[in-house]
Amino acid sequence: MTSDTETVRVVPVRHYGRWLTALLVVGLTVLFVRALLDSPNLEPGTVREYLFKDYVLDGVVTTLWLTLLAMVLGTVGGVVLAVMRLSANPVLRGVSWGFIWVFRGTPLLVQIIFFGFLGALIPRLTLTVPFTGTVLFDKPTSVVVTGTVAAVLALSLNEMAYAAEVIRGGILAVDAGQTEAAAALGMSPALTLRRVVLPQAMRVIIPPMGNETITMLKSTALVSIIAGRDLMTAVQTVYQNNYKVIPLLVVAAIWYLALVSLLSAGQWLIERRFGRGFARGGVR
Amino acid sequence: MTVTDVTTRTATRPMVRAEGVTKRYGPVEVLKGIDLTVAPGEVTCLLGPSGSGKSTFLRCINHLERIDGGQLWVDGELVGYRRHGDKLYELKAREVARRRRDIGMVFQRFNLFPHLTALANVIEAPVRVLGTPRERARAEAARLLERVGLADKAGNYPGQLSGGQQQRVAIARALAMHPKLMLFDEPTSALDPELVGDVLDVMKGLAADGMTMVVVTHEMGFAREVADNVAFLDGGVVVESGTPAEVLGAPKHERTRAFLDKVL
Ligand SMILES: Nc1ncnc2c1ncn2[C@@H]1O[C@H](COP(=O)(O)OP(=O)(O)OP(=O)(O)O)[C@@H](O)[C@H]1O
Ligand SMILES: [Mg+2]
Repeated sequence: MTSDTETVRVVPVRHYGRWLTALLVVGLTVLFVRALLDSPNLEPGTVREYLFKDYVLDGVVTTLWLTLLAMVLGTVGGVVLAVMRLSANPVLRGVSWGFIWVFRGTPLLVQIIFFGFLGALIPRLTLTVPFTGTVLFDKPTSVVVTGTVAAVLALSLNEMAYAAEVIRGGILAVDAGQTEAAAALGMSPALTLRRVVLPQAMRVIIPPMGNETITMLKSTALVSIIAGRDLMTAVQTVYQNNYKVIPLLVVAAIWYLALVSLLSAGQWLIERRFGRGFARGGVR
Repeated sequence: MTVTDVTTRTATRPMVRAEGVTKRYGPVEVLKGIDLTVAPGEVTCLLGPSGSGKSTFLRCINHLERIDGGQLWVDGELVGYRRHGDKLYELKAREVARRRRDIGMVFQRFNLFPHLTALANVIEAPVRVLGTPRERARAEAARLLERVGLADKAGNYPGQLSGGQQQRVAIARALAMHPKLMLFDEPTSALDPELVGDVLDVMKGLAADGMTMVVVTHEMGFAREVADNVAFLDGGVVVESGTPAEVLGAPKHERTRAFLDKVL
């Protein structure tokens, strides 16, 4: 029996196992990092030398706008495909389904190479006014679809297919009562989609689309196969000349990591913006 | 089809007129020939057991559901069709939307737009559909919110309002379109008992101002006090209709009596 005035010491449960595993993991990490740093091929000096070289920076800029352009085109196209798939018109539904089937069903790398060598399949791009023979446009495919254009085409068409499924899921997640309320107010289907359904679908769409953007940023590295002038192409060009493969890959990795971190921060801000009205106490 | 022409010329053209309206979901006939007339400025309450087709009929009036048979007019115009010569043309989505502007609807589950504040909910359709200048729409929305007793909640999102407050915003939202007819589908059924009164008070105010209303409700007190006409539905037909005194006070049909015994 202890009296009320006595101070009682509380002994929390001791997690010996936890301490042990933590120690083990820290130990292994230290060993691994030291092995990395001790490697004569890492060459921190070389990494520092190339990290801010102008052609590496150019590659970073290209990677960034390639990502953004592909995501913007992919999202806009994705909305169109998603609405087509949900339409009452069986032809639109079928076309959308087929598009998604092809572009999700083949590797992105294959699609990039395919667009890079589009000239081999269709040598000339020609546009004529029907029945008159007037030629509006006629050029060799390789002149029009340069490496950069092929990269944008492949990345955005591929993204459309994935975005379409994400957006369709978001649209279906919106309560049917919302469409009904909008209809009862005399809003047209298009207005309802733009003002009522999509803003609410956003909440469901944004987290996966954030992941899509991050994946896209890294997927742009694949366009180095058709000389897409992106970050990966830039470092490849350098190490193919000086054989300093590892330091230059580290340069690329540092930049990708930095850009992805930036995107994650942006995603957090956007999610907060579209969460409005769903969390209690969020009055502005 | 001569009925349309006659009714257009009469001074007291009915606001809603249903003749033998039928509606099927697959093999099941939910409405089996509804006849009903609602005069302008009148309040009609639809009563009836669950599954009798009250909501379905109400939704037919603003063409949220398409009728399979019979005829239905709102303010002299056939719902869902345009007459040209002696042919009826089904309306396109845009034309249907155009006619719905004049018919307000209030839902059991409010269906406010959760991503918009109360005020933004109210001005959305006037601004986007009617093209009302934003400032005028805001001023009018503020007046409407005051009328439903929510002047101080204009900046709140629906998720920050009680059920009764949400329903009153929904009524303000419908009124912002200056409807000539208001449809209510069990507007108080999803509410806690202590919140019902505020919503019913707003509806009584509307009725007193001469709004034409069709109200599906289980609130017998409201029907008795406010309704000009009461229609009792069962099994997809109007079993009995008349003044509240007739239908609620001295029901003629066995089914009406059985229903009233249960709810009163
Ligand atoms: N979309 C639908 N598909 C199939 N059947 C339906 C659909 N909507 C309603 N029904 C059926 O139609 C009948 C009438 O439904 P309705 O909602 O009009 O009844 P109600 O009188 O409003 O009932 P409650 O008082 O429960 O709201 C019911 O049997 C219901 O199951
Ligand atoms: Mg109902």
